[in-house]
Amino acid sequence: MKIDIQHIAKLARLSIEEDKAAMFEKQMEDIVAMCENLPEITAGFDPVDPDHPMALRRDEITPSFPREDILKNAPHSQAGCVVVPRTVE
Amino acid sequence: MELYEMTASELSRLMRDKACSAEEAAKSVLGQIARVEGKVGAYITVTEEGALQKAREIDGRRAKGEELSPLAGIPMAIKDNICTKGVLTTCGSKMLHNFVPPYNATVMERLTDAVVVGKANMDEFAMGSSCETSYFHKTANPHGLGYVPGGSSGGSAAAVAAGEAVLALGSDTGGSIRLPASYCGIVGLKPTYGAVSRYGLVAFASSLDQIGPFGRSVDDVAMLYSAICGGDPMDATSAKRDYPDRDAAPSGDVKGLRIGLPKEYFGAGVEEETRAAVMNAVSILEKKGAVIKEISLPSTGYALSAYYMISSAEASSNLARFDGVKYGYRAEGCEGLTELYEKTRSEGFGDEVKRRIMLGTFVLSSGFYDAYYKRAKQLQQQISAEFAAAFAGCDLILTPTSPSTAFRMGENLDDPLKMYAADICTVTVNIAGLPGLSVPCGRGANNMPLGMQLIGPKFAEKTLLDAAKAYENEAGSFRAIPEIQ
Repeated sequence: MKIDIQHIAKLARLSIEEDKAAMFEKQMEDIVAMCENLPEITAGFDPVDPDHPMALRRDEITPSFPREDILKNAPHSQAGCVVVPRTVE
Repeated sequence: MELYEMTASELSRLMRDKACSAEEAAKSVLGQIARVEGKVGAYITVTEEGALQKAREIDGRRAKGEELSPLAGIPMAIKDNICTKGVLTTCGSKMLHNFVPPYNATVMERLTDAVVVGKANMDEFAMGSSCETSYFHKTANPHGLGYVPGGSSGGSAAAVAAGEAVLALGSDTGGSIRLPASYCGIVGLKPTYGAVSRYGLVAFASSLDQIGPFGRSVDDVAMLYSAICGGDPMDATSAKRDYPDRDAAPSGDVKGLRIGLPKEYFGAGVEEETRAAVMNAVSILEKKGAVIKEISLPSTGYALSAYYMISSAEASSNLARFDGVKYGYRAEGCEGLTELYEKTRSEGFGDEVKRRIMLGTFVLSSGFYDAYYKRAKQLQQQISAEFAAAFAGCDLILTPTSPSTAFRMGENLDDPLKMYAADICTVTVNIAGLPGLSVPCGRGANNMPLGMQLIGPKFAEKTLLDAAKAYENEAGSFRAIPEIQ
């Protein structure tokens, strides 16, 4: 299977340097070739494990983190908000 | 014997009897870190000050006669993908090189009396089998510094093996606890899916990830597991059930226990010395009263492919959150959001992480979903069904943990498929959501440790620990710390 690495990278919001594109392409093709040995299985699949159904907790209001604690990790913040490059003119 | 060489059970007893203090234990382990860390490189962050402060607090509370947990004061390493409040948690990545979590993972809330001596090195985002893809540095195997410690929890395993921690937590998505335990000659448990909360574990593949313990004895691993298991409202996938035998020490009794040996795990690709060491352990268990039978798990040969499809698909989705906006690394000088995302992710992730994100993006993309991802999910159910059928005829399954001993640093770094093959015996356990335990069972011709894997039905951790203890009692302990040279 031929893989268009630049297209996949774009979908994943990655950019691959030209000098690495051939390496990634070859490695991805090898991995995909390994995975092509999977057998055809006609049975459908049930995405929920019957022994272990997930249950959501009640949606109750509890104290949340102080804003300043969360913003300590933000690369760029101002006036209590996260700053990003201009997106709307 | 120095305090850092003791097992957690021994240290716990000494502290309870006031024969040593938590501060003395912490200082002994920190002393060993100062001596060998330059060679081993097990840690990304050593938390000396916090460890000593916590140790003194424990000593103070003990002096006041307060009832403390058995793990109180035990020096511990925590894999760097488990959130520790106020302590750098990097996931081995440039992407999180500056991330200081404002909260604790649930497992850390359950270990509030433990003395955390540091955050352990790991493959970037837990993607790797050698601990060589960390953004920060490589970790060496304490049994032979030219060899890898295994991955992805290589720092946790190396720290325990080198006496730089008494216990450690790691995480296991396809073998990332059991493989390094095997390569470093210690005990490592990957608990049943849902047995331990993952709240605060940086997600890699959410249907496979599990946090679990490392130790230098079966009792130590049992002790740490009992402290961290149990349901958690903060993790919807954690099982809501009781653990009635959680505090029972491993019995060492295997009389009448039916152990299955799946022929697919002993075939081509498994080194002769590995097979011989594992079969020697089997004969020891048989002498102790276990009943051995050959079984078959026919879909094993497809497991590695299914694993890479499923784990990469989930990783590509989970890692979409790293965009340079709210936390972690951000690329400079970007015009517009798309450029911010692309530049941040391209500069922040290493090659192995990019490879897996792209593989996941590919298998989930339109036109390929049915051929790859859906087939892998169908195979997952088939593998689970085969295990369930096998457990109708046996109580646990025994295999090698990996086909061989640790490989040399750099040996597999340029060949992802060769690297992935180290996980061939462990991925099925994650695919089926089962518990798996790696126990040392000898050494190879290169004098590096070998491990065997015990696999049980869901929530049968106690059976695994009982059997491992039976082997440990006969084979001698795994606690000796190698001379690091």
